Amino acid sequence: MKKRDHQDSCSSSYGGDSGGPSSYGKAKVVWEDELDASGGMDELLAVLGYKVRSSDMADVALKLEQLEMVMGQEDGASLSQLQNDTVHYNPSDLSAWVQTMLSEVNAPLTDPAQSLQTDLDFSSLQNHVNAESNQTQLRFSDDSEYDLSAIPGLAAYPPRSPPPPPMQQPEPPRNKRLKTAIGSSSTNPNLPSSSSSSSTVIAAPESTRPVVLVDSQEAGVRLVHTLMACAEAVQQENLKLAEALVKHVGLLALSQAGAMRKVATCFAEALARRIYKIRPQDPLEATYNDILQMHFYETCPYLKFAHFTANQAILEAIGTTNRVHVIDFSLKQGMQWPALMQALALRPGGPPAFRLTGIGPPQPDNTDALQQVGWKLAQLAETIGVKFEFRGYVASSLADLDPAMLDLGSPEMETISVNSVFELHRLLACPGAIEKVLGCIKAMKPKIVTIVEQEASHNGPVFLDRFTESLHYYSSLFDSLEGSGLSPDSEDMMMSEVYLGRQICDVVACEGPDRLERHETLAQWRSRMGSSGFDPVHLGSNAFKQASMLLALFSGGDGYRVEENNGCLMLGWHTRPLIATSAWQLAPTVGNQ
Amino acid sequence: MTRDKEEKRRPVLFINDHADILLEILKRLDGRSLCTAACVCRLWRALATADSVWEHLCLRRIVSPPPSSPGSSVRPVVSALGGYRRLYMLCVRHLLTRLDRDPGGRWRTSSAWDELQLSLSLFCVDYYERLGGRFGDTAATSSLMFLCKPVNV
Repeated sequence: MKKRDHQDSCSSSYGGDSGGPSSYGKAKVVWEDELDASGGMDELLAVLGYKVRSSDMADVALKLEQLEMVMGQEDGASLSQLQNDTVHYNPSDLSAWVQTMLSEVNAPLTDPAQSLQTDLDFSSLQNHVNAESNQTQLRFSDDSEYDLSAIPGLAAYPPRSPPPPPMQQPEPPRNKRLKTAIGSSSTNPNLPSSSSSSSTVIAAPESTRPVVLVDSQEAGVRLVHTLMACAEAVQQENLKLAEALVKHVGLLALSQAGAMRKVATCFAEALARRIYKIRPQDPLEATYNDILQMHFYETCPYLKFAHFTANQAILEAIGTTNRVHVIDFSLKQGMQWPALMQALALRPGGPPAFRLTGIGPPQPDNTDALQQVGWKLAQLAETIGVKFEFRGYVASSLADLDPAMLDLGSPEMETISVNSVFELHRLLACPGAIEKVLGCIKAMKPKIVTIVEQEASHNGPVFLDRFTESLHYYSSLFDSLEGSGLSPDSEDMMMSEVYLGRQICDVVACEGPDRLERHETLAQWRSRMGSSGFDPVHLGSNAFKQASMLLALFSGGDGYRVEENNGCLMLGWHTRPLIATSAWQLAPTVGNQ
Repeated sequence: MTRDKEEKRRPVLFINDHADILLEILKRLDGRSLCTAACVCRLWRALATADSVWEHLCLRRIVSPPPSSPGSSVRPVVSALGGYRRLYMLCVRHLLTRLDRDPGGRWRTSSAWDELQLSLSLFCVDYYERLGGRFGDTAATSSLMFLCKPVNV
């Protein structure tokens, strides 16, 4: 209940975001008016004698590229056939002409929508989108004579006939049998059938084998280009083109292997969600989210690094105090605290009394997950001889917190520290929330505040920039997952991929208050914390040494890099920093100490 | 007469008669040898599986523990978490092999005490995971699986 009210207030004050597309659409209408004066044709090409609609330019370019590639292959049969047998109608209509050329060469492919690895019902959604686009005049209304959904190579793609028998995932080996471009000795058994079928005028898709004559290495580059083109199309609200491209991405992704394939499929799914407006994702139960994060915790060192470095900062800050009170914004399963408690137990002079306040989201079935975590931690504390107290607070958003509720002792009595791992960026979805929370933290008068956040710029206003940034970021992450040496079928690996896939969907597909994964760079957080009245605390060399040691233990440890950045520690994969830990204290104000 | 012959045939020193010497010898072995020694006979097993020997093994590389944290305060914690033998098998063993494999590594500025601390932290995390029974009864919980994975040399 509370959450909905909060979201309502957020969305009403967030009118700026929804106003965006409509104002953009108005600009589109003006542009289309200008176009209609010339009949929608591109003027420059018209001078040369070719008639291409400006709206189809990207698509024509794609097809020309394909044609060029096909022609470049030493397949004499198709070339000669192109020269001699094909009848070209109306070559000045560039897109249709290229279309027929391609259709002569390639056998018809199956409906790519079925080979896309999602469970979305594309056909029904497509009708929905078509209906929608007919209503609004602000969208790109594509009323060209050919069906844009005919991906190059699909040619005679009878829209009314039932799709050929489904050939989804059981057939990936076939897709992998791609003919490499030049001089490869591997024979493609599909090839004879393609040349034989291309000599006939194609009327119906008789052969259901996908013959995509594409070099798998080049396919990787084309995959990235297609992803970028799709994102650009989405940015320009050219949904028909985007839809065609995203299906193409799905196809190309199957030709890749390993991390590239997973990244591509995740992003393709996210783009599809954005295009078909299936957002936000089904909200996961908090427990399921915790499980996903646990698997991620186990496969790669990012979370461990985060916990260990934050703990080190806390240890150094509390010094010789007798009472420690930690407020954890990201309790989850409490995996950070056993290591801290162990370090406290071995502290010279004996362990202090340790109080932990954990903040967590509400559980759907009213189980008190926080209390369970607290109980486990209490058991551990008793085993190692640390006085321990736990309190859990349920809050659907950190902005709902009130320091008075937390029963804090005064700074003379207990040393307070605040810890947040991957939680603060969610507050950026609601304007004003982050300032409120930072003010709340200041009111708690902590000795140290430890913050761990993703080092990425996924909160820019322009969709295309966000898309590019996140593509690079998650590619690095998936690369490091692959380097971890786990078998790709293991549960840990798959769950980690789901965990990251959900983040990708959030960054790409959602907007407004639904988009929670608003990662920002360390520099941005620094300026935000600085302007809110916090001073940076340098993480010492102990933290650095410990982090380096920890990373050396991971297989693939060579790929990980710990860097020190003005007192903050960053963990990255090869040259790309991925997460950053920073520590803060209250800036001394006049009249304070 | 026969007694003289028997006395001549009996070995001068039978190690099992001198458990203290045996203990001193066992304390100097490495982990794998200790495990092998535990298979010899009951006495050896009793001595080789005693936690004090494994404590010696774990703390061996620490020339002098920092005065701030004497070894005596570590012992109760480790015992409560499962003992030094378990600590060695789960954490220290892998740490030593991994870190030894990379002699010129950049982390090598850390001391053996830091390494032990890291092992202890990981050990504690493992104990905590086991508490929840999330993975039931598996011999090694997942949080330490990364240690058991083969490292690309």
